[in-house]
Amino acid sequence: LSAPLLPSAPAALRSLPPPVTVGVLHTARLLHTTQQCSAPLPPLPEKGGEVRLGLIPEEFFQFLYPKTGVTGPYMLGTGLLLYLLSKEIYVINHETVAAACILSVIIYGVKKYGSDVAAFADKLNEEKVAKALEVKNETIKDLETAIEQEKKEQWRVEGRSYLFDAKRNNIAMLLETNYRERLLTVYNEVKKRLDYQVAMQNLKRQKEQDHMIQWVEKNVVQSITPQQQKESISKCILDLKALSKSAQAAV
Amino acid sequence: MAGRRAAVRAIDWAAFAERVPPNQRAMYNALKTRSDALSARLAALPEKPPAIDWAYYKAAVAKAGLVDEFQKKFSALKVPEPVDTQTAKIDAQEQEAAKTTAEYVQASKARIAQYEQQLQKLRSMIPFDQMTLEDFYEAFPETRLDKEKYPYWPHKPIADL
Repeated sequence: LSAPLLPSAPAALRSLPPPVTVGVLHTARLLHTTQQCSAPLPPLPEKGGEVRLGLIPEEFFQFLYPKTGVTGPYMLGTGLLLYLLSKEIYVINHETVAAACILSVIIYGVKKYGSDVAAFADKLNEEKVAKALEVKNETIKDLETAIEQEKKEQWRVEGRSYLFDAKRNNIAMLLETNYRERLLTVYNEVKKRLDYQVAMQNLKRQKEQDHMIQWVEKNVVQSITPQQQKESISKCILDLKALSKSAQAAV
Repeated sequence: MAGRRAAVRAIDWAAFAERVPPNQRAMYNALKTRSDALSARLAALPEKPPAIDWAYYKAAVAKAGLVDEFQKKFSALKVPEPVDTQTAKIDAQEQEAAKTTAEYVQASKARIAQYEQQLQKLRSMIPFDQMTLEDFYEAFPETRLDKEKYPYWPHKPIADL
């Protein structure tokens, strides 16, 4: 998981040119005068040393302060300048004018647009650093998720006992089912045979009864002679006449 | 009757389902449906078949020794229990699974250690705006430009730009 990640991280970082390290060496920073170096090196200072008039470092003024007070270095500078001019050690010629014009333009430009240019350069730097930082953070996050995933997989694997328990349960259930089915089959077969015997007997008895009834009926019908038939018919007619008389009376 | 019931352990299907990875979910569902079908079948069958009413049959059947013979043979009958052939295989599978699991867990732990190491290195890095180029090359040795192999700028094959 991390192997494809790592080449991408430095590939992104490789495309960035290295950030610009700003600043003049502060005297507080160790110079490499000896072989030993306190690693990691202390970070580079954010700002350069203090200067006055853009040229003269602050340490000079501090150096002269005890002897000459606040105005000392300025007096020194003015005196020096006047000396150079009056003694014509520095000769004023056309180059002086050119220098004055050029310097004034340069100073005007720097004073007006210096901070903007500095901000723009800083922004470029910031973007590079931010991109590198993002890559680093993303790599960290990916590694953490990878670790979590691995732990989760380990936890998952611990549950394998469930699987085998389920399989064994299935087997046990199958065996039990099979056994019960066998018992049931035995019972059903025996019962069927016994029921068959009983049903056979019942059927035989019923058939015998039916046959007997039929035989008795047949004999009775046979035994009715024609003489008896005539007598019974005339009796019926008499009965009917009597009934019809009584029925008429009722209506 | 005592030996036949191999203990049917209650399975926590919910906890089981939690541990199933998403790519094996179909297999888990198949197993579950099969288990449920089996337990339904088991529950539908009575544990013991109903008892046969011998007295009634003795009174009903006319033939003399039939019912007695049936009764004798019935009570003497022993239904054989089905033989368990598969549990041994399951146990063997379980042993194998335990072994592969141990291997996998070990490999996983090695991977975790690797990740942890990289994480440590990344976390203990100095912030980028305090790095010099040398520090950067130390932290990410892959970015170091090989000036011996490619002596001319850009010190790496053009394809890698």
